[in-house]
Amino acid sequence: MVAIKENWRVILLVVFLLVSAFALFSPTIAGDDSASGADVAGESSATNLQYGLELSGGTRIRAPLVGVTAEGVDFGGDDPRVVEQAVAAEVDGAGPSDVIARIGAQPEQGTAQPQPGAGSARTVEVTVDGVSTDDLAAALDAAGYGYETTREGVTETTRQEVVRILENKINEAGLSGGTVQEVTTAQGDNFILVEAPNQDASSVRQLVSERGTVVIEAYYADGGNYTRETVLQQEDFQSIGTAQDESGGAFVPVTVSESIAPEFQQSTRDSGLAQQGGTRCTYGADPDSTEPCLLLVVNGEVTNAFGMSPGLADSLRTGEWAGNPVFQLQTTNVSEAQEVSINLRAGALPARLDFSEESGGTTSFISPSQGADFRTNSLLTGIVAVIAVSGTVFVRYRDVRVAAPMVVTALSEVVILLGFAAGIGYPLDLSVIAGFIAVIGTGVDDLIIIADEVMAEGEINSRRVFQSRFRKAFWVIGAAAATTIIAMSPLAILSLGDLQGFAIFTILGVLVGVLITRPAYGDILRSLTTISR
Amino acid sequence: MVEFTVPEVDYTRYTNRQLAAVPLAVLAVAILIIAGWFVMTGAPVNQGIAFTGGTEVQVAIDGPQPAAEEEIRAAFDADPESIRSVPTQDVYIITFQAGQAADLEQQAEAAGLDVRSISSVSASFGGDTQILALGGLAVAFLGMSLLVFAMFRVFVPSIAVVISAFSDIVVPLALMNVLGIELSLGTVAALLMLIGYSVDSDILLNNHILRRSGDFYESTYRAMRTGVTMTLTSISAMIVMTITATLFGIQLLAAIGTVLVFGLVTDLMNTYLLNLSLLRWYKFRGVAR
Repeated sequence: MVAIKENWRVILLVVFLLVSAFALFSPTIAGDDSASGADVAGESSATNLQYGLELSGGTRIRAPLVGVTAEGVDFGGDDPRVVEQAVAAEVDGAGPSDVIARIGAQPEQGTAQPQPGAGSARTVEVTVDGVSTDDLAAALDAAGYGYETTREGVTETTRQEVVRILENKINEAGLSGGTVQEVTTAQGDNFILVEAPNQDASSVRQLVSERGTVVIEAYYADGGNYTRETVLQQEDFQSIGTAQDESGGAFVPVTVSESIAPEFQQSTRDSGLAQQGGTRCTYGADPDSTEPCLLLVVNGEVTNAFGMSPGLADSLRTGEWAGNPVFQLQTTNVSEAQEVSINLRAGALPARLDFSEESGGTTSFISPSQGADFRTNSLLTGIVAVIAVSGTVFVRYRDVRVAAPMVVTALSEVVILLGFAAGIGYPLDLSVIAGFIAVIGTGVDDLIIIADEVMAEGEINSRRVFQSRFRKAFWVIGAAAATTIIAMSPLAILSLGDLQGFAIFTILGVLVGVLITRPAYGDILRSLTTISR
Repeated sequence: MVEFTVPEVDYTRYTNRQLAAVPLAVLAVAILIIAGWFVMTGAPVNQGIAFTGGTEVQVAIDGPQPAAEEEIRAAFDADPESIRSVPTQDVYIITFQAGQAADLEQQAEAAGLDVRSISSVSASFGGDTQILALGGLAVAFLGMSLLVFAMFRVFVPSIAVVISAFSDIVVPLALMNVLGIELSLGTVAALLMLIGYSVDSDILLNNHILRRSGDFYESTYRAMRTGVTMTLTSISAMIVMTITATLFGIQLLAAIGTVLVFGLVTDLMNTYLLNLSLLRWYKFRGVAR
């Protein structure tokens, strides 16, 4: 019997192939279709492979954010809120919601007041179109705030917020599988990358280009008819708490900014919201006969309606409330409270995506049918290329024992790479397929080197001769592999990714080839040539 | 069945100068073409929209080509820069110098065209991509050169590999200009692949001649038998791939295939004329000094 020790390379290859086959076809690894779990095949394909936009269809939008930033701003002890309003007043066409003053890089804004006096960097961003760094500098001078520098672009915190808000928006819109991420080019420019499978460019762009409005309206009977009146807008909140669930029910604690509070207080009195004993809102059941309500309106649609508690109504009537303008947005359950909290926070993008010509953005849309065509056609193209390789190799060696394992070995490299892609869920794109072709190409080259070296000068009469020849062949292969890896690594590392998939899979393929499949081919060739002697 | 054996070339009949003259002349012509292109157009190669910015729309239209082109021109407000058809598929690829993907999509849909894909790249982003691609190519080439020098540790054989690889990239670039192939992400990928392919056969040749005992011409023939087989296998695969991908309208794969075919043929010439003559000079005269 052939010892395991002698053929461990072949066994290793078989193990890798089995693992890859498992990753490719096992239903247990399949990510999404967990609901039924009955069928092996998902609804889209028989394998666990994920396809990128080019092969599945969909829209990819890459755009920078509109905005300019001043760094190292001296707030002079003012609250960021005050800074925002002061700067906004000095910039043409900017409202308080277009100016963001930050103390430090707070990952989350809202749950608490930023710590005053913390020695971190203070920044002021203006996120409306057509404001230059000079405009911002002039506005800061006019408002009396000192600063160190002004630059194009927004802060990292703002970009993270945009990504988070866009993710929320995409999920809200039900674009399944949509992703949002921040990408940085080699030049250090920052972009927001939105990908949405099966959506056309205009609908995705419409969704992500809206900044999104959230307003609180009062709904009350004015004479005989019910009217809606905007009482609070996104920027009227000083802070928005996290959803809470206490014995009295779920709610979101919010703080209304002091400048708006008296106005809001007055309007609740006028509309009857602050009546004795509060109001019970039945807007959902019978909007025509409810007591006055507060409506949460997101993008023009009422997403929630709630009444006023007796205690709050009292303090609004007496006027105490304006001194401490907090109230609780009541909801029916805690998940709804979370939704309100997210809506209030995620409702408005701090900065808009810039789609102008000179912005540096890209948009691409591939129709699902085009994607499907590419999928089958690139598979066919690959198969045809492999047949061409096999044909040439057969013609050259005229020996099936040499050529057949060569083709099988080269294909097994692709199977292992596909298994890897399925295992980590890397989406296959045309560039990845180009990588596969590169791998087959270098793979067959290396196998030819091994075959020629091992079979040079006729018969191989001992294992030692074989080993020494094999080692010689391997020096060349190793050297060539190292060069390929070096050549591809810059593209693999740089995150701007149209060629990243190509580079990553070429490098992986070369590694798999040199470490696993090509040594195994040597073993196969040995057993075929030495034993048959 | 066709017979396929690598012929044994009688190198003794030619001097090193004669051998090196052909590839060096080809390289010089290629550099002239690229330099001329640079003077005439301001860029060393024709760049696709991935680098210059612009929008590419693919639509499917049944029917004869002139009518389809008429329909396309009527559909869009902007004037298309070019309209190309994909054979066998009734698909037309339209490029615009500027324009927003979403606007063009709406115009196409309003005209009832079946939009297969749209991709739009802004000019400044294209500029960034260009720097990235050229930088990537330069770094890759530099890394390859350093590695080759580190592996062989002697100047002439190492520089022979590096010059061959350089020519393998420059000649296809010149051919792209002549044949009107645009530099795209696919062709950049192909140029990077060429670094790997090119070095493969050069290292093989160097290794056989420098590290093995035996007669120079015998080593050369053995290296050639393997190396030429390798390159011909790759060329045959790439020719077939180019043809299929062109028929299917997969531009990326077609572009990669075309450039690789150019590069591999160039590599055949460079390895067995240029690299070999430098090696022979090194072996018979360089060492003796």
